[in-house]
Amino acid sequence: MNFQFDNVSGMLHMAGHGIYVWTAVLVTLALIAWLIINPLLQRRRVIKEIAQDVSREQLRQNASGESV
Amino acid sequence: MNWNWFYRMGSPRWFYESTSRWLPWFGALTVLLLVSGLVWGLAFAPQDAKQGNSFRIIYLHVPASFLALAGYFLMAAAGAIGLIWKMKLSYMVMKCAAPLGAVLTFLALFTGAVWGKPTWGSYWVWDARVTSMLILLFLYMGVLALQYAFDSKDVANKASAILALVGTVNIPIIYKSVDWWFTLHQPATIRFTEAPSMHPDMFQPLLVMILGFYCFYAVALILSVRVEILSRERKTSWVRSLVKQATHNSLGAE
Amino acid sequence: MISNMGFLAFLRRDLRLINRRRGEVASPLIFFLMAATFVPLGITPDAELLKNIAPGIIWVMALLATLLSVDSLFASDYQDGSLEQMLISPQLLVMPVLGKVTAHWLTTGLPLTLVSPLLGLLFSLPTAGYLPMMAGLAVGTGCLSLLAALGAALTVSLQRGSLLLTLIVMPLYMPIIIFGSATAQYSIEGLAWSGPLAILGAMLAVAIALCPLAIVTVLRLTTIN
Repeated sequence: MNFQFDNVSGMLHMAGHGIYVWTAVLVTLALIAWLIINPLLQRRRVIKEIAQDVSREQLRQNASGESV
Repeated sequence: MNWNWFYRMGSPRWFYESTSRWLPWFGALTVLLLVSGLVWGLAFAPQDAKQGNSFRIIYLHVPASFLALAGYFLMAAAGAIGLIWKMKLSYMVMKCAAPLGAVLTFLALFTGAVWGKPTWGSYWVWDARVTSMLILLFLYMGVLALQYAFDSKDVANKASAILALVGTVNIPIIYKSVDWWFTLHQPATIRFTEAPSMHPDMFQPLLVMILGFYCFYAVALILSVRVEILSRERKTSWVRSLVKQATHNSLGAE
Repeated sequence: MISNMGFLAFLRRDLRLINRRRGEVASPLIFFLMAATFVPLGITPDAELLKNIAPGIIWVMALLATLLSVDSLFASDYQDGSLEQMLISPQLLVMPVLGKVTAHWLTTGLPLTLVSPLLGLLFSLPTAGYLPMMAGLAVGTGCLSLLAALGAALTVSLQRGSLLLTLIVMPLYMPIIIFGSATAQYSIEGLAWSGPLAILGAMLAVAIALCPLAIVTVLRLTTIN
């Protein structure tokens, strides 16, 4: 198993096919990354939402507790 | 036979808590497989005699295609389990598998198109495999659209599950029909994206990439399902305490 | 006499209902003919080229015309509540559903089949192609009606269901158009057209067996909740 190209720029150029191969690689990596990052961001958002719900309920409870 | 393990698996809480433990490791494995497979395939595998370096796109295209198709079956199976055993968690898996599979199908089509240009001269060639993949994308889009069309989550789940199952029954029919059509009409050229006999030096990195993609699919799916669980179970005490802990931690870090 | 379990009753009912809105039956047919005119205007009027694509074009038009007409299958029954009445009754609903779908086919697929020679004329379809094309259309539109009914059942309770319906049903239509078009093409090329026709027949048989069951399940799901 050996490095197939003369140097790094050779790898980028890939004998003329470079733009196609690297476009495919970049788009793939971008989509894969997004498919992982998106749920992580959503999780953060959902947790924040639920925390707000909880605090709102607490306030309501405290308020009704005091008025009684 | 004691089926408790099966019903325990259907508990969203059990799913969330057990995946919390081993998912990070699995994620690390995924990254390892993908990075090593990609570097191997792009830099160290030999180029194809006929296609040259554009052949390297196979390391992206084939895994994506495999997962696109496997993902549909997984989505339908999750729907079937939900229908038969009325398992909420199964419906959540089905719901999350739909957009994931659709994106992978698009990726398969995109990488295939980019592969086609330097190799066969055009971005798009109507042939059996490409057409079947396009129809698979339409099937995914149908399930996705149906999922979000109903107000009642219950109806949405069941209707999507039924549609996914109808699609599953149709997939072999569609693939065979399309295949038959193109053997009639295909001009006598090489079959698009066919790698007839692969040298082991090319096959091994492909195997790594396929494995890496399967792991990636599992990670992405589980991450989505976890979010869905948190969202749907937000009124339960275990979610509430989890959220309290999470916000405490983040406040503490500040 | 063996009971047909409601098949004939619902067939007659739906035919009578459709008869009251006869204009609606004509629209898919008119669409069929008009859309066919787009082809020579938009693609080519050259008879030689049209001849080659004639079976396919006719099938595409038939497909689109069927999709246009499917809305009405369950919509009016859903809106006036009779669908719900049907569903809560204790009888087995597979046959009534089949009766409704047959009524739909008799008023869309069958007229399309009968009008198709006219389109064959417009597209210079070779003589060998006429009978196989009609045979393929007759059998294929049956499948189209059944699958469309499934889509209609899934979307009956939705406000803008018709577009979603077409989205759902179109991938399922692809094998049918393949073999339908092949029936006529085989005959034109001198091959045995009974082959593709047989496959279409098999698809129809499976659809008749499975679709009504699925349709009833889906209707129960989407209508009563």
